[in-house]
Amino acid sequence: MKRLLGVALGVLTAIGGFLDIGDLVTNSVVGSRFGMTLTWAVVLGVIGICLFAQMAGRVTAVSGRATFEIIRERLGPRTAGANLVASFLINLLTLTAEIGGLALALQLASSVEPRLWVPVAAFAVWVVVWRAKFSVLENVTGLLGLTLLVFTFSVVLLDPDWAHLVHTAAAPQIPASEGAASYFYYAIALFGAAMTPYEVFFFSSGAVEEKWGPKDVSQSRLNVLIGFPLGALLSLSIAAGATLVFLPQQIEVSTLSQVVAPVAEAGGKVALAFVLVGIVAAVFGASLETTLSSGYTIAQFFGWSWGKFRRPSQAPGFHVVMILGLLVGAGVLMTDVDPIRVTEFSVVFSAIALPLTYLPILLVANDREYMGDQVNGRVLNGFALVFLVLIVVASVAAIPLMVATGAGA
Amino acid sequence: MILSDLVDAAVYEDGRQLGFVVDVRLALDGPVTGLMAAPRIVGLLVSARTSTSFMGYERTGTNAPAVIARYLAYRHRGTFLVLWEDVRTVGGGDAAGSADARVELRPGFRRWSAALEQHGTASQA
Repeated sequence: MKRLLGVALGVLTAIGGFLDIGDLVTNSVVGSRFGMTLTWAVVLGVIGICLFAQMAGRVTAVSGRATFEIIRERLGPRTAGANLVASFLINLLTLTAEIGGLALALQLASSVEPRLWVPVAAFAVWVVVWRAKFSVLENVTGLLGLTLLVFTFSVVLLDPDWAHLVHTAAAPQIPASEGAASYFYYAIALFGAAMTPYEVFFFSSGAVEEKWGPKDVSQSRLNVLIGFPLGALLSLSIAAGATLVFLPQQIEVSTLSQVVAPVAEAGGKVALAFVLVGIVAAVFGASLETTLSSGYTIAQFFGWSWGKFRRPSQAPGFHVVMILGLLVGAGVLMTDVDPIRVTEFSVVFSAIALPLTYLPILLVANDREYMGDQVNGRVLNGFALVFLVLIVVASVAAIPLMVATGAGA
Repeated sequence: MILSDLVDAAVYEDGRQLGFVVDVRLALDGPVTGLMAAPRIVGLLVSARTSTSFMGYERTGTNAPAVIARYLAYRHRGTFLVLWEDVRTVGGGDAAGSADARVELRPGFRRWSAALEQHGTASQA
């Protein structure tokens, strides 16, 4: 019974914790501009993150080492150092986007200017990272994030032409109003939003925090394989809502209030209250995860002691890095920058950086010296290699497409 | 000298360039200092065409995913191990050891297999 509850809790938090500001914004923008024609990119993204998280979780559970410890060990200090710089900066960009998203969500709930919320949000994240227990922070934000299911209910309430929605998703065509370059640019953005590197840093380091061993591998596999696809269903619901409300009027989503507009239209104030709670919880959860990831990556690379299972005084470097990361992120947001634009860039740069963390995990998941009998099987390796190619193609194509489309404008 | 001085260094025999140092092989069989046996340099791994890493695929038991293993084996074809006794001079680099570090081998040195035996599997080199 206890085990069943554990599985249920794990799956629920995986669903509620799947979405972050990148998923919320990108899916909504894509729905408003391309309808459901990019569903395939979300599907590829969720298969990719299932593969990646499952491998990273298994590697950590069996070898006891988290992602950046492995990268350092396997690639050597120089290559791993370059990898660290890129991964850390992109994680910092994501962290900035999450704190900005949190401020925007709090603005929607309170009508108080987002820049006044930024320091409050950053401080709240720091207090929780400093004080709260790992399992508490993960479970509370994950469970509250489940209120985002209201996105799915809203789509039903909006009473769409289901056949048309499914048809545009299953037989996609680039809309006449958009160019092919923009279409594929947003495909990469959706892919990056689903497969953000911090998710893997957090997932593997979290396995150490929660002291997973080889016997926990099957539960982690269930969490991932059930929770993430259901989380992706939320992504598609957001896109569908934007498709129904904005696409016919040719309005492009550019604010968080537009992201939640389909929910308000479908379900009124009650639904809006639910979605705001969900967004604050999901984005707060993602802020915690990215903040922790900034500490995890640096501390693991340099071999410092790290982790929430230690008191802050036992892992000072880890906590200092997180404080500095929050200060930089909040500092950037206090300028004129638009958090929604930061988010759009963060998901694309996530796609660019993905091969750096994916390849080492794939190699170690095949290494008997670390994994013993729990190495990847043939079928899994087949899928993993197909995704290696996809990830590299997306990474290489992202910058030219960004230049060609003026970052999707 | 630190290990980073050696990695990436160009390798010469009699003025002819043979390749680059891609790894340094150590044995932990020196006298015990502190907790561990002191490491001893066995030799250098010299790759003919590239100074990029072997990523662990020099171990004989490590061959999955096959596509990646084959690609790396191809990139590093002709890689050999040269014993430290066969290294005549190391130098030419700047103080930081990065630019133009140069390893000169003793003429008539012997090329050993680069494969690292793992889990008792037979060497294929």
